Amino acid sequence: MKLRMHMPRVAAAGLLGAIALTGCAEPLEDTIVVGLSADITTFEPGMISSRDNANIARHIFASLFTLTAEGEHVPELAHTLEISDDGTSYVYTLNEGLTCHDGEPLTAEDVAYVFNRIADPANRFTGNTPGFVFTSIGFVNAEALDDLRVRVDIAQKNPIAFGLMTEVYIHCKDAYEAMTLDEAASNPVGSGSYRLASWTRGSEVVLEKVREPGNFQRIAWRIIPEASTRTAELIAGNVDIITNVVPEQVEAIDGSGRAEVQVVSGTRRMYLGFNLSDEHARMPGGDAIQDPRVRRALQYAVDVPTICRQLLSVECERATSLVNPPNGNASLTPYPYDPERAERLLDEAGWRRGANGTRFSIRLQAGQGRYVNDVNVVLAIAQYLEDVGLDIDLELMEWASVYTPLLRERQAGPLFFLGTGGGLWSPIYDMTDLAQVGSGTNYTHWDDPRWFDRWPDVVNAETPEARRVVLDEMLQVFHDDGPWLLLYFQPDFYGVSNRIAWQARRDEHVEIFEARLK
Amino acid sequence: MGAYVVRRLLQSVVVVIGVTLVTFLALQAGGDPTYLFVSERASLEEIEATRRALGFDRPLHVQYLSFVGDLARGDFGQSLSYRQPAMEIVLEALPATVELTVFAMVFALLLAIPLGVLAAIHRGTAWDGSITTFSMLGQSIPSFWMGIMMILFFGLYMRLFPISGNVPFLAPLLSGDVVTAFTNLPRTIFHLVLPGIAVGTYSLARNTRLVRSSLLEVLEQDYVRTARSKGLRERRVLIHHALRNAWLPVVTIVGLEFGFLLGGVVVVETVFSYPGIGRLLFAAINQRDIPLVQAGVVLLAGIFIVLNLVVDLVYLRLDPRVKLAGGRG
Repeated sequence: MKLRMHMPRVAAAGLLGAIALTGCAEPLEDTIVVGLSADITTFEPGMISSRDNANIARHIFASLFTLTAEGEHVPELAHTLEISDDGTSYVYTLNEGLTCHDGEPLTAEDVAYVFNRIADPANRFTGNTPGFVFTSIGFVNAEALDDLRVRVDIAQKNPIAFGLMTEVYIHCKDAYEAMTLDEAASNPVGSGSYRLASWTRGSEVVLEKVREPGNFQRIAWRIIPEASTRTAELIAGNVDIITNVVPEQVEAIDGSGRAEVQVVSGTRRMYLGFNLSDEHARMPGGDAIQDPRVRRALQYAVDVPTICRQLLSVECERATSLVNPPNGNASLTPYPYDPERAERLLDEAGWRRGANGTRFSIRLQAGQGRYVNDVNVVLAIAQYLEDVGLDIDLELMEWASVYTPLLRERQAGPLFFLGTGGGLWSPIYDMTDLAQVGSGTNYTHWDDPRWFDRWPDVVNAETPEARRVVLDEMLQVFHDDGPWLLLYFQPDFYGVSNRIAWQARRDEHVEIFEARLK
Repeated sequence: MGAYVVRRLLQSVVVVIGVTLVTFLALQAGGDPTYLFVSERASLEEIEATRRALGFDRPLHVQYLSFVGDLARGDFGQSLSYRQPAMEIVLEALPATVELTVFAMVFALLLAIPLGVLAAIHRGTAWDGSITTFSMLGQSIPSFWMGIMMILFFGLYMRLFPISGNVPFLAPLLSGDVVTAFTNLPRTIFHLVLPGIAVGTYSLARNTRLVRSSLLEVLEQDYVRTARSKGLRERRVLIHHALRNAWLPVVTIVGLEFGFLLGGVVVVETVFSYPGIGRLLFAAINQRDIPLVQAGVVLLAGIFIVLNLVVDLVYLRLDPRVKLAGGRG
C-alpha cells in the first residue's frame, strides 16, 4: 500500500488534533462554573441593580449582616447591632481585624464612607441600594463612633430597615477615594471571600478565593443568554450550575445522567391585578371590579394548580396573600377552583350573563417574555375568565419598552398580569408593595382603609406577637377583598451538575460559598 | 481618484448623522428608558430622580443635539449601564466580531467559488442539481436554528467543538501581546467553527448561486467562444477568460457582505454566547443604553461606508471600463 500525504493535509490534521486537545475542557476540581442568563454591567456597589449582577457582587463584597437561605439575618462583618429607642439610629459593632482585598484595614470609618458615598447625589448612582434601600429606610447619614462602631441614622422608625441594610455592599475608603467612578465600576476592591480575577465583558467573570467561606478556589460566572445553549453546556459537563432553565428542558437535563434540575418555589408573587383607579373604573369592566364581591368571585374562576402543573411543570399551592410562606396568615386557605361558585357570586353581585352569554367585557394587559411561560399562563387565565362569562380583550405587549412604563405609571389594566419580587425574611417586606395608597408599587390603586390605616399599628407594635396579630388581620382583608387575583409563587429552575453538591435558594440568590464537590 | 475619495467621505458624514437620528428616534419610540434603570420597587419620586440623573428629563431635541455636539468632538458619551465610555466598550467587543465575520467569509468564499464553478460547468447534471438544492436550503434555514442544531450535534452529541464562548486572538494581538495571540490561535479557530459556519452558510449559499449564474452568463459570451475556437484548453478558458469576468458581481456582493455580516451576527452571537458587538448591541437596545447603541451603530455605519468605497475602488481596478462619476477614471 502506498501512503501519500500532502503537506496541507498534514498541517490540517495537526491543527485539528491540537485544537481537539485544547478544547472542550471540563471544569477543574478547584473551579466551579456557573452559567447565567444575563450579562452583568458593573461592579460599582451603588449601581448594581440586576439579580445576576448582585449574585456575583455578593461574593466580592460582604455586608454587615447577611441573609441565610432560610430568611434569617446573621452577623457577617458586624457582630452586634443596637437600635435606639426611637428606632432611628442603628449602631453596628464590627468584628476586629477586618481587611479589604488590597490589605487595607476595614474600620467603622470605611462603613460610614460606603453609606454616605452611595447616598451622595453627586455620584448619581441609580442602583438598588440608593434607588430602593435608602429611600425605603429614609437614610439620613452614617458616622463612625470609633474604630469599630458605626451609627446609621434613618428618618423614622421602620421595622424592616435592618433587613434592608444588609443589602449594602461594604468596601474600604482609600481604594475608592483613589479611583474615579469609571475605574470603580470595573475594579472592585471588596471585603468578601472572593476577589475579581478577570472580567471579559459579555463573556465571563472569574473570582478567586482570598478567605473563608468558600469551597472552591475559583468561581467562573459565564454569561450564556440562550437557554438551550446553557442546557447544552450543563449536559456537556462544561458548566456546573445554570439558572433560568426553561420547563421544556427539564426532562432533557434530568434524563442526561450528568445533571439534574432543582425546582424551588421562588419568592416572586405572580398575580392578576385589578386596577381600581377612577380612570379605569370608567373603562368597560372597570366598574365591575370595583365591587369586592366580583373580585372574590373571579378568584374561584381560575384553576391555579392546573396552570402550575400543565404550564410550569410543577405542583404548586395557590397563594393566599401577597406574603411568601411561611410568613403569611396561617389560618388562610387558598381559593379553590370552583367555576359554578364563581358564576353564582357574579350573579349575586348583579353581573348576570346577557343574551350573548357575556357578563361584561374587560381588558387584560400583560407583558411577554419576562416570567416563566408567561404568555401561555395569561392565555389560560383569560380562557378561565371567559368560561365564567367575561369577554376578555387580551393585550400582550413587549415587556421592557411598552408594558413596564405602563405599569410604573400605574396605568395597566383594568386587569393586568404581573410578578413582583418578595422575600423570606419578613412579611412586612412583602407587604410594603402596598405601603401607601400612592406607593409606586401599588399598581392597583387599592385604598381599603382596613389595610392602609393599620400601618402605624404595624410600625408601633410593642412586641412581635402584637405585630403578628395586626399583620394577620391585614392579610385577611387582602385575601377577602384585596386587589390581586391570587395565583402562585413563581417556581425557579436551576440545573446542577452531578459532580456538585449545592442547594438552590428560594430568593433567587445564587450563593456558591457552601457548594462543594460530591 | 483622491478627490473622489474625499467627496465620498464627506458624503458619509451626512449618512452617519442620518443613521444616528434614525437610531435615536427608534430608541425613543421604544418608550421611556428610565424604568430600566430603577428597581422594580422604586417610587415615582425615585424614578423621577433617576430620569434627571440620566438626562432623560430634557426635551428630545435637546438630548439629540447634545449627543451630536458631543459626537462632533469625538465624544460618544458614557454607557448608561456600564458607566464607561461607550465607544471604548464597543471597540472592546469589535475584534471578536471581526474574527467571526472573517472566519465566516473565508468559509463561505472558499466553498462558494468551487461549488459555483462546479455547478456552472456541469449545468443540468446531478452535480448542478445537488449544489443548487444545497444553496436554496442554505438560504432558507435560519441561522439561529442551524446554530442550535450544530450545538446539539457537534457540540453535545459528537463533542467535537466547543458549545459556546470564544478565545480571543485579535484582542491580544492589537494590544501587542503577540505570544498570547498566537498561543490562542488554535483555540480561537476551534471556537469559531460552529458559529462561523452558522453565520457563513447563508453567504455560502448565496455566493454559490451568484458564482454559478455569473459564470454561466460569461460562458455564453462571444469572447469565450472565440477563446475556445482558438483551441485554448477548457481550463485556461475558464480561469483566464470566464472567471475573471464572472468576478465582478461577486466582488460587489462580497465587499458589502462583510459589513452586512459584521452587523448581522446578533442572533448567532447570542446563541453561541459569543461576546461580540452584535450581542453587545442587542443587550444595549434592550437596556435602552442609547450612548452605547449610538456608538455601535456609528462604528458599523463607518465600516460599511469604508467597505463600500473599497468595493468601488476594487471594481474600478477589475473592470477598466468603469469610470468614477466626475473623475478621470
